[in-house]
Amino acid sequence: MKRVGVFVCDCGSNIAGTVDTGLVAEEAAKMPGVAFSTTYKYMCSDPGQELIRKAIAEQGLSQVVVASCSPRMHENTFRKAIAGAGLNPYLFEMVNIREQDSWVHSDREQATRKACDLIRMAVFKVLKNKPLQAGTIPVTRRALVIGGGIAGMQSALDIADAGYDVVLVEREATIGGKMVQLDKTFPTLDCSA
Amino acid sequence: MVAVAQHPHIKVYTLAEVDAVNGYIGNFSVTIRRRAKYVDWNKCTGCGTCETKCPNKKIPNEFDLGLGTRTAIHKVFAQSVPNKPVIDAQHCRMLQSGKCGVCTKVCPTQAIDFEDRDELVTEAVGAIVMATGFDQFDWASKYGEYGYGRFPDVISGLQFERLVNASGPTGGKIKRPSDHEIPNRVAFIKCVGSRDDTKGKSYCSRACCMYTAKHAMQVVDKIPGGEAYVFYMDVRTAGKGYEEFYERGVSKGVKYIRGRVSKIYPRGNRLVLKSEDTLLGRPIEVEVDLVVLATAMIPAAGSSEIAKRVGFSTDKDGFFQEAHPKLQPVETFTGGVFLAGACQGPKDIPDTVAQAGAAAVKVCGLFSKSELATQPMVSEVNAARCSGCGLCLPICPYQAIGMQTVRERGHGGTIERRIAAVNEVLCQGCGACVGACRPGALNLKGFTDEQLVAEVDALCL
Repeated sequence: MKRVGVFVCDCGSNIAGTVDTGLVAEEAAKMPGVAFSTTYKYMCSDPGQELIRKAIAEQGLSQVVVASCSPRMHENTFRKAIAGAGLNPYLFEMVNIREQDSWVHSDREQATRKACDLIRMAVFKVLKNKPLQAGTIPVTRRALVIGGGIAGMQSALDIADAGYDVVLVEREATIGGKMVQLDKTFPTLDCSA
Repeated sequence: MVAVAQHPHIKVYTLAEVDAVNGYIGNFSVTIRRRAKYVDWNKCTGCGTCETKCPNKKIPNEFDLGLGTRTAIHKVFAQSVPNKPVIDAQHCRMLQSGKCGVCTKVCPTQAIDFEDRDELVTEAVGAIVMATGFDQFDWASKYGEYGYGRFPDVISGLQFERLVNASGPTGGKIKRPSDHEIPNRVAFIKCVGSRDDTKGKSYCSRACCMYTAKHAMQVVDKIPGGEAYVFYMDVRTAGKGYEEFYERGVSKGVKYIRGRVSKIYPRGNRLVLKSEDTLLGRPIEVEVDLVVLATAMIPAAGSSEIAKRVGFSTDKDGFFQEAHPKLQPVETFTGGVFLAGACQGPKDIPDTVAQAGAAAVKVCGLFSKSELATQPMVSEVNAARCSGCGLCLPICPYQAIGMQTVRERGHGGTIERRIAAVNEVLCQGCGACVGACRPGALNLKGFTDEQLVAEVDALCL
């Protein structure tokens, strides 16, 4: 029996200012497969993540939907949180009700309805999600730095000082880049060579 | 510089370029082209005799931005690292016409090798740091009001650096390029190509306000009775100790005039600048001996080509695109490729050093693991459905799909057929192949047809 948990984030007033998150959570509770739904002021915060982990354990959730910001921002945060509660991190969907809803709409009623629609889509999808496993690949511990100016020399030195081999490729016949053409440099006025 | 060359963990290839990059995070194979130097650096002691004897002495020196001259066989500059010369084939009489060879005769170690050719080497690496830097905006082709480069005494900030540098063409004395006289009045124009949508770039180049403050101070300090005028739109000194540095210049007598220079024209052997002082609200005219332009920083020549070769994207101005402007400023969208310095956007030395350190830490973080986890949301092939048409191969932007032969039972025997195969490490999960697959054999894990149809159903049913 699949039991979906829906977690709706206020993002302070970023989302809750335009979307009635309480109403959204109530609507989500009625969606098929949803066993639990709630809101919280900042779902990405430590107490927010703890709330998700606790709900997974106490409610016996099998899938999780978080409605908050862009996945580019916090998808990994929430994947780690639910993995911490023992669920496969891919039995999870993130709904963007900030960038794609509250930030771009001003009509509260319509924005709230849109949030419900987006969450319904994610709930239907997450019910079809299968656990996925990451593979592994080996790492060659050797770096290539392209460009031998200030940036290239500094990163090459930092990597090499950490004990790893570095290959530095420079187009000109000398390293140094633009730096070696300069006289004194601000604000300390020391020489640049 | 020397610390880099002498570091036991750093191998330096100069006069070299990256020809090709294959592979993926943790496992790149890089082809490096070492261009012909025509000097065997193993034999060369760097004594410099060849440079003094080379008969072709009047070649404009790129290192001094045309302000000085060099020979065909030359070191880039006296302290270059490695401290060895190369032959510029285009200007070498021997390589062009087969007649000369003076350097061969004078070289005490027989290091000259006219038979030298480009050489390809391959290196295996796990991470790549891009640090290709910037070039100067070509103001002379755009700014007609500053003379299109016709006036020799209108120079760029980097040219001024060469004039004031002790190892430069004037030995550190600020002299006008036209008559080698010491200029008494020097004007500086900021934002040439920067913050100028019509002729140049919309962005601020960030370092110019400060190096102009330095240049103006050097004029006042180094030239007895020297006067410096700085024409500006804004003075931006956002950095630790920067405002104080600018104030120091002002207290030494550098005159800042808020206004854009609308025209430069010669009067006698001087140059006249027409501008407006927007704080006084009236037009002004200043007669000077030398004009220094603070030109915009643009991506280094060849940036977009190297970005394509390594396999990551550039932004609207051609700088390398970071994965996130705040949260991933040194990462690219391509795993294992990091950014440092002005190749990512205009920046000054302190910021460059900081970013280079950040990129190095990212590399070290990657190297701290013996194995990397791949992201599992990749394409998979349903072998039973794949017709082997191969349409997905050219669609894949990451060259992650190849063909494989499978043996299966059918028609009363074993048959062999070709089907698509996804390299799960190269696949970035973009889904382009799924749309192209006519038999519906490709599916993106985490975004399968079944999952997407369920989403549509959620809205429609």
